[in-house]
Amino acid sequence: MRRMLLVLEPVIWLLFSAGMMVGGLLLPAWALVMGVAGPLGIAPAATSYDHVYALASHPLGRLVLLAAIALPLWGGAHHLRHVWLDFGGLRSDGLVGTLCYGVALLGSLAAIVAVARL
Amino acid sequence: MNPIDLLANTWIWYALFGVVAALFFLRGRGRSLTSFAERSSGSPGARASAVGAVPPGREKLRSYLAFGFGGFFLMSVSLLVLRAVWALGNGEAAWSRVQASLQNPIYVIFHALAFVWLSWFVLRLFRLFPATQPRRIGPLRRPPDAVLVGGLSAAFVGVTLALAAILSGALG
Repeated sequence: MRRMLLVLEPVIWLLFSAGMMVGGLLLPAWALVMGVAGPLGIAPAATSYDHVYALASHPLGRLVLLAAIALPLWGGAHHLRHVWLDFGGLRSDGLVGTLCYGVALLGSLAAIVAVARL
Repeated sequence: MNPIDLLANTWIWYALFGVVAALFFLRGRGRSLTSFAERSSGSPGARASAVGAVPPGREKLRSYLAFGFGGFFLMSVSLLVLRAVWALGNGEAAWSRVQASLQNPIYVIFHALAFVWLSWFVLRLFRLFPATQPRRIGPLRRPPDAVLVGGLSAAFVGVTLALAAILSGALG
């Protein structure tokens, strides 16, 4: 499995760098508005189904959402794998790498289905 | 529980974060930074760059690890976005259920922490950016580092404000 991860390393690095950039730019605003301001009643529109559906179902909205879900998953997976390596987890790298990238792959596929269903 | 809720259930990630943090705490206790550097040298990238390297200072090490744990927040928040989008596709009742669950104070605290952590994460990433750039970008000389970092940081603030305004209904 480690050999396969090494072969895929250039693709993973591409997704990792894109994921850090896209995730870093898009997710703080989502966390602030949808996770804090909306539930606390500061931004009631953020919890409105009609408002959020109108934004999300727009073609541009679907594209942004797909990028905001799929790419940061790869960025985060690669980061967590390397934190594990830094703690001396080289022996279990194949397992941890597969687990991290497996979640990213599943999440990316689910994201494609999720935005297509809107 | 549908598969997306299962995948996106961040409680699993809370547990993972707790385990990793506990591991760090337990393994880090009583060990010098040199021993951390030795353990770090297990990774292929670290092995290549560790020749003649000195162990990093404690502050740099903390910052490095905090940056690494940014990956946990990237994955967790992405999975929460996926959960919300999936619920949108299932209709208003499913959306309301997700919104009700997000009112749990633990979720609110988690999101506030994620906002702070990810903002720091991306600003640190931008500080590292100039070191990755060539001397010339196309036919032009590369701008000074302060211009690159300042421009990217301003872009982050602008994108965050614009997105927050759109999501909260203040704009558009």
